[in-house]
Amino acid sequence: MMTLAAPLAPLLFGSFILEFLVRSKFVPSYILPAPSEIAISLYTDRFEYLMGFFATAKAALIGLVLSFVAGTSAALLLSLSPWLRKAFLPYATFFQTVPIIAIAPVLVIWFGFGPPTVIASSFIVSLFPIIANSMLGLQSAEPRLLDLFRIHRASRLATLWKLQLPAALPAIFSGLRIASGLAVIGAIVGEFIAGGGLGEVVDAARTQQRLDKVFAAVFLSSFLGLFLVVLIDFISRRMLRSWYADESAEQRP
Amino acid sequence: MIRYARLLSLRFSFFILFAGLFGLAPTISLASKSVSKVPAKPVSKPLEKVRLALNWKPEPQFGGFYAAQITQLDKKNGVELEIVPGGAGTPVVQMVAAGQFDFGIASGDEVVVSRARGSDVVALFAVFQTNPQGLLTHAERSFESLADVFKSNGTIAMQKGLPYAVFLQRKYASGMKASIVPYLGGISNFLARKDHSQQCFVTSEPFLANRQGAKIRTFLVAESGFNPYTTVVITRRSVLLERPELVKNVVMAVRAGWLHYLNRPTEINQKMNELNPSIALETFEQMSTAQKPLIEGKTISKTPLGSMTSARWSELSVQLQEMKIIENKPDSATLFVEL
Repeated sequence: MMTLAAPLAPLLFGSFILEFLVRSKFVPSYILPAPSEIAISLYTDRFEYLMGFFATAKAALIGLVLSFVAGTSAALLLSLSPWLRKAFLPYATFFQTVPIIAIAPVLVIWFGFGPPTVIASSFIVSLFPIIANSMLGLQSAEPRLLDLFRIHRASRLATLWKLQLPAALPAIFSGLRIASGLAVIGAIVGEFIAGGGLGEVVDAARTQQRLDKVFAAVFLSSFLGLFLVVLIDFISRRMLRSWYADESAEQRP
Repeated sequence: MIRYARLLSLRFSFFILFAGLFGLAPTISLASKSVSKVPAKPVSKPLEKVRLALNWKPEPQFGGFYAAQITQLDKKNGVELEIVPGGAGTPVVQMVAAGQFDFGIASGDEVVVSRARGSDVVALFAVFQTNPQGLLTHAERSFESLADVFKSNGTIAMQKGLPYAVFLQRKYASGMKASIVPYLGGISNFLARKDHSQQCFVTSEPFLANRQGAKIRTFLVAESGFNPYTTVVITRRSVLLERPELVKNVVMAVRAGWLHYLNRPTEINQKMNELNPSIALETFEQMSTAQKPLIEGKTISKTPLGSMTSARWSELSVQLQEMKIIENKPDSATLFVEL
């Protein structure tokens, strides 16, 4: 109960202050809408928001899954050879610095309007944290265990599969957590350009000076990002139960 | 001696007279001519600096504002204009409403929507009497009307939520086959696909498309019955009440600038082209020629340039209410002032 109350307290306090400022005309609602206006908009246009929410969630999830598959595969390949790492890792870093908002219009030319561009945008933005964290995880296997595998003449593939990959799982999930938030941002940017989802709701509301709708859609997209982070966290805890148990056991006096 | 002295005095007087007539007179005449060339200062008060926020980059649609600045017609009217270019989606009307700028450019529908949301923005000067917003289509598709564009397969790129887009979608909803897709700015998608039509300013993108070799046909949205004033100079009512003289000077400067630009756009186009070299100077010339009838409108010579009527603001408010973009209509008489 306390874990939920702690983050809710500042939200409620902030909302109360904002409501007071708008209602007492200190801040005009066409500059900053009152929380009650946002809530009313969420109820009045609920079907539009729901459709937008599910469209964005679908695109962000597909983008995230694709970046997970591509990112971990790339990291596995790069970890097999120092030469490959030196040759391709700089490009992975370069990928991270691509400003998605600048290349999104080009994505439309390649993939057309609608979900394909949105998914591509989500994929590009969320790929790098998965590559970087997976690489880090794969290189984090304990040296003494690596020596043990070497003594037993384990093959490169066996070492990777039985030692490096399990050791990398916490880092891979950490990358996924970062990527899940970014996947939503990528999807929203893609929707600005290619249409659909919460991005389109924000874009249309902006042109009609409906700041209550803009904030409502932004709130929902933040909620989606948070939901994905919690989902990844849940999966990681289930999969790494034994790892966490070992870790907590180690911490016990 | 006295006689001699008198004679000298008389000769000196004649000398002065002759010198005056033949020598000094031309000098005086020249001086008087040169004085008449210097324009009289109509305003003795110090110049007030005014920032005008645009909603796009320097283009002929803003030519009159730049003309006022470049030819110093602003200073002759007691103000010093600083023109601040905008970008895609710059929310000028909200920035003016919030007090970040005292003067800005917006479209008529933005003014009505902003007022309906509670701001106190007010229109001062409407550049376009006929809305230049239109649809740009490929000539190969042989569309004859806006209805044809909507009732044929293909895509139409329009900024979702904009009143004119809502209006067209409602008007041509029955039998509509085209898909509405987001407008990305520019014409690259239009050039890439023959089944693609897009929103445009009929005074702008068609010339850029022609330059790229595309065969085009445009349709004015105004012909469908939605014709808000466009490129409207706005301020806040509070500015109007507190500094009416300043607001009047701005309108006079802007009007003088536009009158100059409509008659002699070449020099101004060159200067704007330096500020926005992405558009060729030749295209600047074509744009300024094409927009002239839309600015002068049918009311030319009857009312001052930039004038507005309560009837048109009222019609626009009704249309926006019918489209459910606004709930309550603002009083149309308070949406603008004639200065």
